[in-house]
Amino acid sequence: MNRRQILTAGWVAALAALCVGIYMGTRRETPLDSAALFALSLPDAAGKEQSISQWRGKVLVVNFWATWCAPCREEMPEFIKTQARYGSQGLQFVGIAVDDADKVAVFTKELGLNYPALIGGYGAVELSKTLGNRFAALPFSIVIDRQGHIFLTQLGPLKPDQLQAIIPKLL
Amino acid sequence: MLAVFGAVAAAQPLPLAPDKAFRFDARALNPQAIEARFSIVDGYYLYRDRMHFSVEPASVPATVATLPPGKTKEDPFFGRVETYRGQVIINIALKDTVPGQKVVIVAESQGCADVGICYPVQTQRVTVSLPAANVAPTRPDQPPRKLWFE
Repeated sequence: MNRRQILTAGWVAALAALCVGIYMGTRRETPLDSAALFALSLPDAAGKEQSISQWRGKVLVVNFWATWCAPCREEMPEFIKTQARYGSQGLQFVGIAVDDADKVAVFTKELGLNYPALIGGYGAVELSKTLGNRFAALPFSIVIDRQGHIFLTQLGPLKPDQLQAIIPKLL
Repeated sequence: MLAVFGAVAAAQPLPLAPDKAFRFDARALNPQAIEARFSIVDGYYLYRDRMHFSVEPASVPATVATLPPGKTKEDPFFGRVETYRGQVIINIALKDTVPGQKVVIVAESQGCADVGICYPVQTQRVTVSLPAANVAPTRPDQPPRKLWFE
């Protein structure tokens, strides 16, 4: 292999690595420390402060959402089903709404939400940015294992087959 | 090999930063008329009822024309909503201005991408120098600047 071929191969490898990096970046942001999340305490729709650390030791799915985000609302019925199915085995969904408490209260009641909906306000988006949600977009979900390690962060809807592949494995 | 990776990357495109997905621009048609424009990248859309405009300084009286109709869809929670794709042009009438005066057009908007994500409300600003009457429209003084959570 001559020098030109080696250089060409190097560029191809670098570009391929970049493409893979871009692809993975859309599906799984770089996992960061969960400490900031567990240190978080937010009010629920009734105004009662809830600490995320109370769910340490469970398989935790933290979902940043808002009523104004249609894709967020569309994935929540599947979260309800998954919570009902695996809740007794140690799964805990927690929603952090980037929204007003009154809208959250109305929507979650209509939907029959079976997991906590905390009110993060717009400041919660900033927290999600520190956890890899660089555009502060929604929905953004973080899956944390029983040891408190971030297993997955994802911008965009968590698909039912994803949940089915991930949750039983972590429980 | 590249083609394969290219296809994979295209199958799961990275979402754009909101100020890239929803480009905001404005120009002066004359000292009393501003044409503001959102250029929306394919695969993205803005909500009509979440779009608001204002002009700085507040001492310049401004009237924002009725926003053009968008594409209507039924939202299970919010009811009938209208969305924009492609380009949206908004006319803003000014009063009590002088040629050469600089004004800032402030746009607030909220949109989503078809891949299933939504961005929070964003605020974009464009500074426009008002021309003398009957001269060609000016270019914006600076590119749109994103300011989050003001």
